[in-house]
Amino acid sequence: MIKQDFVALAPYLAVAGGIVLLMLLVSFWRSVRVMLTMTVVVLLVSLGLVGVGIGNPPHLISGFLLIDGYAALFNALFIIAAIVTALLAYGYMRGRGGEQEEFYLLLVLATLGAMTMAAAHHFAAVLLGLEILSISLYVLIGYSEEGHPPLEAALKYLVLSGVASTTMLFGMALIYNATGTLVFSELGSTDFAVPRDELYYLAGQGLLFAGIAFKLSLVPFHMWTPDVYQGAPAPVTGFLATVSKGAVFAFVLRYALITDVLAIPVMSTVLLVFAVLSMLGGNLLALLQNNVKRLLAYSSIAHIGYLLIALLAVGVLADSLIAVEASIVYLVGYFLMTLAAFGVVTVLSSSSMEVDAESIDAYTGLFWRRPLCAVIMTTALLSLTGIPLTVGFVAKFYLIATGAEGGMWLLLWALVVGSAIAVYYYMRVIFVMVQKGGGDSYTHPSVKVEGMAVLVVIGLSLILFGVYPSPLIDFVRSSIGIAGG
Amino acid sequence: MQTAIAVPIEHVLVLAAALFLIGFTGVLVRRNVIFLLMSLEIMMNACGLAFVVAGARWIEPDGQIMYMFILSLAAAEVAVGLGLILQLERRYRHLDIDAASELTG
Repeated sequence: MIKQDFVALAPYLAVAGGIVLLMLLVSFWRSVRVMLTMTVVVLLVSLGLVGVGIGNPPHLISGFLLIDGYAALFNALFIIAAIVTALLAYGYMRGRGGEQEEFYLLLVLATLGAMTMAAAHHFAAVLLGLEILSISLYVLIGYSEEGHPPLEAALKYLVLSGVASTTMLFGMALIYNATGTLVFSELGSTDFAVPRDELYYLAGQGLLFAGIAFKLSLVPFHMWTPDVYQGAPAPVTGFLATVSKGAVFAFVLRYALITDVLAIPVMSTVLLVFAVLSMLGGNLLALLQNNVKRLLAYSSIAHIGYLLIALLAVGVLADSLIAVEASIVYLVGYFLMTLAAFGVVTVLSSSSMEVDAESIDAYTGLFWRRPLCAVIMTTALLSLTGIPLTVGFVAKFYLIATGAEGGMWLLLWALVVGSAIAVYYYMRVIFVMVQKGGGDSYTHPSVKVEGMAVLVVIGLSLILFGVYPSPLIDFVRSSIGIAGG
Repeated sequence: MQTAIAVPIEHVLVLAAALFLIGFTGVLVRRNVIFLLMSLEIMMNACGLAFVVAGARWIEPDGQIMYMFILSLAAAEVAVGLGLILQLERRYRHLDIDAASELTG
């Protein structure tokens, strides 16, 4: 380790050091307020360090982690999502008995795992990041001490995510057996000395991508998603839908970029089928839902399906940086709108309630009872639909442009059909919210100031980036190294 | 020193794949949560075995290092899993995973 390594690793060291600090803090002085403040401070320091380092040239740390603009952008996204989750969770868990300090500790730990995946350049780093993220998430999902749904969701996630992790691991072992290396750049280089053992190599890639498809909850590996999203506490669901998916996607995209695995026809065909199935299946199944959390779960399946267009474009386009740009812009939009939607569910719920405000009846007439919440929810849903002047439109526009450039018409048709179906169920929630009357039987918890403040900021940025996206796009372009933004 | 593999690599990989499938089948058919965790453990160890034999093929320590990673991760996963099992036992008074299936729709 040399000085430059430590400089490049500064955001990671800040988070890791912060975790130790939080752990000591929680054992000596229990105070939720102090814990929340320290969590936000640690995350903000790390975000600042990410911002300082974003212009630096790419730095490879002993083949293990590759710290560059790509990793920095994803890290910034993950840290911001973690801050939002922490603030939302504070109001959500208020009034709940028992210890809640460890929640923030686990949240920061999960963020560290996601950040590791964003910079992973070696299968061991992927394994470490993925498991730090997943194991923290098992506990976060089952954090509540009462009630059956969180426990059931945590157990389901533990078993199924464990199976997916081991599938990925077995794939990695087969790839290692076939090529003799675990480093991405060596897997990618054509002049790497060892001849590939094709059968093992393909089987390994297949298993690896099966595990990834599960983690990204692509149809037909999506069965766990609605159950876990429904059972998990609302703020954790938001985190699960954004950071956990984003981290896996960051790894897959980097892996595809460096190793050129999508040039193998079988792999790209299978991914194409998954993408089309996810776009159509996710949207069609969302039509049947009367539970807002499940509805958003299916919608997130469809959105990751859209995102696969950018991933598949890596194997098609001559300039793969365009695909990276589209992915990151899309993910920024997806993070914002998903956090906003789950944030509204969080603000309307409390962990002392039997279940979260997830039944669609809880939203009847929300405009007349909680106008601000309803406006933010409407903005988020319009953005998820992809209505112009929201960030969802910019994001989807980018995907369509990328897909058109790569001539991937089947995927674009699926996207258009899927989006058309999606209009129906997003609008249904909006219509329910403007209906008069109803909801009297439903009592929402008192207003949470910090949660609402966060939501207002996200809601405004949904509109701001939708109306005036060029600063965001320029920033993404300059960070990943596209000249002349 | 000569490479000390007397057993062909394919045989060990077949063994690892068999272990992996046994674990996977266990996850599918077993209903007791403790057995589910044990099946997961078998799958993890199958991965570890595959890594070790691949490392031996290339005469590198990487495979064994990965195995050590896998071991520690399996321990962490089981620790959390056992914690959840304690909660399951406390709330449902038994360990049948099928009973915990209220989330549908």
